[in-house]
Order: sequence, then C-alpha cells, then structure tokens
Amino acid sequence: MSCIYPIGGGKGGIGKSFIAANLGALLARQGNRVVLVDLDLGGANLHTFTGISNIPVGIESFLNKSARNLEDVAVPTNIDHLSIISSVNCSMEITNLYAAQKIKIINALAKLPYDYILLDLGAGTNYNTLDFFLSSYEGIITLTPEPTSVENAFKFIKALYFRKVKQILGQNDFSFYSKQVEMNSNALEVTSQVIDSVLERDPAKGERLLQELRKFKFKFIINQFRKTVGAKLGEKIEKVCNKHFYSEFTFLGNVCYDERVHDSIYSRTIFVNKYSYTVSAIDLSHIVKNLQGNMETAALRTIGHYE
Amino acid sequence: MSDNKKMNYYEILEIPVNASFFEIRHAYKEALSVYGEDSLSTYSLFSEGERENLLRKIEEAFHTLVDEKKRSEYNHHLVENGVIDPTELSREEKQKSIPIFLAHNSIDKNMFFKKVKKKVEESSIRELTREIMETALISGQDLKRLRQAIGIELDDIFEVARISISILKAIENNEFQNLPSLIYLRNFLKSYAEILHLDPEKVADSYIINISLLQK
Repeated sequence: MSCIYPIGGGKGGIGKSFIAANLGALLARQGNRVVLVDLDLGGANLHTFTGISNIPVGIESFLNKSARNLEDVAVPTNIDHLSIISSVNCSMEITNLYAAQKIKIINALAKLPYDYILLDLGAGTNYNTLDFFLSSYEGIITLTPEPTSVENAFKFIKALYFRKVKQILGQNDFSFYSKQVEMNSNALEVTSQVIDSVLERDPAKGERLLQELRKFKFKFIINQFRKTVGAKLGEKIEKVCNKHFYSEFTFLGNVCYDERVHDSIYSRTIFVNKYSYTVSAIDLSHIVKNLQGNMETAALRTIGHYE
Repeated sequence: MSDNKKMNYYEILEIPVNASFFEIRHAYKEALSVYGEDSLSTYSLFSEGERENLLRKIEEAFHTLVDEKKRSEYNHHLVENGVIDPTELSREEKQKSIPIFLAHNSIDKNMFFKKVKKKVEESSIRELTREIMETALISGQDLKRLRQAIGIELDDIFEVARISISILKAIENNEFQNLPSLIYLRNFLKSYAEILHLDPEKVADSYIINISLLQK
C-alpha cells in the first residue's frame, strides 16, 4: 500500500516544495519508491528543486489523454528511486481546473504504484488545493514561526473542515444546518456550530460526521525555525489543535533556518543531498523518522540542538 | 471546540484532580502562554470573543483551584455530579522531584504587566488606590491589600522585580527586624510600588516614616 502525503499550508513561500523535495529524497534514500507530484497548478516549480529544467510529459499529458495512466507521465530524477510528475507544461488556465479533471487526478493518485506519493500543493485555500489535501487522511501542514504564516495555517485548517463538513452533508443539508450560524466570521466556532446543530437534529448523522473528521491524522512541520522563537511552539500548536479540532494533529518537528537552503535552490540540487550534515538536514531526517512512526520522545525532539 | 463548554477546571488546565498547588500554578502559566493575546501558537485561531471566553475560564479555573476552600467545594460538586471518582481525590501522589527548569519557568512579563494595568483601571481598584494614597502613612498591610485586590502573587513580584519572598513578606507585615538596610528597603519599596502603579517616591517615604514610628 502506498502512503499519500499532501503538503499544504495556506501561505506562499513557507517551503512546501522545499519540504516535499527533501522528504522525497530522504525517503528514496531508504530504498523506497517515491514520486513527487507537483499539484501547485499554475505555479509549478517542484522540478527546479530536483534539478530538472525540461520535462516533456506531465499532468497535462494525462488530462489530454495522450498518456493513459498517470504513472506513465512520471519522470525519473537524478536521485535513485525518486520520480516526479510535473505540471510545468500545463496550460496557462490550469489553475481553474474543472471538477471532473480534479476527480480524475485524485482517483489516479490513489492508483500510483509507489511506496510514497508526496503532493506539493499551492498556496491559498481554493477548492482544488483543499480537495487534493483532503484526498489523504494524512496531510502535512507546513508553517513558519511568523504570525502571517500561523494565521494562514489556521485559516487553511478551518477551510479544510468547512469543505469536508460541506462535502459530507451535501449542499442541501449544509445550507439547512448553517442557516443559524454567523458565517462571515473568523471564529473557530463556525464549523463546530454547524456540527452541533446536526448532532442536535440528527444525532446519527452528526456522529457519522464526527467519525469521518476523526479519521484525519494531520501532521505539521515548522520550517525556517530560529532560536529566537520559543522552542515549544510546535508542541503548543499541537496541543491546541488536538484540543479544539476534531481530528488528530501531530507535530513532526522543526526545520532549522539555514542560509544554505538558498544556495541549494540556486544550484538546483536537493538540500539534504548537497548539505547532508547540516542541522537542517538532520532535522529533516528526524521528521522522516517521525513520519514513519518512530516517534521519538517529546524531550528529544525539543532539546536536540536548539537549547 | 464545543467540548470546551463542558470541560471541568482540571480539564481546562490539563492537570490531574489531585494536582498540587505547584502543578496548578505551572499549568495556569502554561495556559496563559498558549491562549494569551500575544501568543503566536494561537494567533488568529479564535475570534476576540472566543479568546476572552477561554481566558476567563482559565482565570476561573485557576482562582478556584488555588483556593483550598473553593477547591474542596468544587470537588464536592464534581463528585456529586459523578464527574470524578472520589478515590481519585484522595489518591496520594508519590512525591516526585520537580524538574529544575520548571521552577525557573519565569512568567511572561509583558502579559503580567498588561494584566495588572487592565486591573488597576477598574473602578474598585482605583478607589482602593486613592484611599491608600490618601492615608497619612502607608503600611505593609495597605500594600498587601492592594496587591491581593489586583490578584498579584508574591512570586509574581519576585519574578519581575527579583525581590526575595521573605523580604516581601517582611515589608507587608511591617516586620522591621527582618527588613534590609534602609538603602535597599527604599529601592525595594519603589519597585514594589511601581508594580502596583503607585507613586514610588511617595510610597517609599511614607512607608519608611511609618516603620520608624513603629520601631519606637
């Protein structure tokens, strides 16, 4: 069975593609078959991280039926076991994907014959991004320790919930239950009020809704971490999310800020391969370990090299 | 989310029902660092109203649980409603050693000053402040009364002003035999008065005259 990890986070420039490329390289180093899928439609640049500038086939070939299967458009990178499905050659209007095309992609993703499938998503909270993120129960949210990024990450989670609840209830039911709720607000309660009112009127349906939301095991990574930020930021966010949302949240770890990330992108080489022994590269390999379930004790995660 | 409304004070502070005073205080500070207005970890997560509600619950939980009488009434209420098992309350927790970094976990000074500032602007506190400043000679009891009305603990003062608890107690109880020499006392009084938003010079002068009269 393959693991699908969508990588999102709401804000642009926080390192979603960087994280995707580097986690991919680390997973491939272990001998796993890994594919990176660039779903930042209209803003694709994941290929550049892997050092490939020209990719003849990609998602467009799959959508226009010149390739029958999505796996046929995967291109090997210069890293063993690591392939990429790019969207760099997609049309200028690809951002506004038709719903049918989106469903076609999501269904094809689940059938890809790889051990790990990493989806690099775009910024923002448009339906495509949210639906790609929700195509797996184990999405990874990336953020940086700045109010702007934290704000967008929370917005992203709220938008995911909103989208999911709407999907499960269906448009009609959703309009019915959301009638009494003040929708134009940033309050956390917007979705929970809808859920509460479903639980009240139709407990069985409400319970199903909660069951579905509880299946999500979101993960998050703090990128560009600096010493000046409280070392416990990730743990605090993890705790708060677990307390105030209905799903499970796991903090995978911090990735220390490093000037050399810029160098690696500039030279179009994957950071963990060019600078294997830096603090940030070690952080990334801890994240891979955590992702694979070898959760280290919380103490090890925080004390490490920051304190 | 919605579960929040049904949470009891122990759940709000995330502590066991037999938590010690120390654990309660630590959990309270932890909660403020997460839910406070300046907290990055919950930035924009809640609307203003939601945050106010959460903070009010945290305050309520803390002030009930640190007060022995209120806590036992509250426990009684929880037991009666079947929320907690009475055996949990009496279960003796083995004395665990306290990790040293917890003991040094200083409070968020900005948040502390903000809280005090907001409190001293309340009319009842303003009234008390005026009353104290109008008395001819300010005594330790006056300072203590104002401090407690604002809701400041002695260790809060220790943490922001680094005046030892024993000296603070001596000041508040007018124990002149335990007070430091005049030059230190003056500065301690000024720092203490500043925290309470009182005129530091006036408090120091008035207190020192009062204490020297008591000494005779």
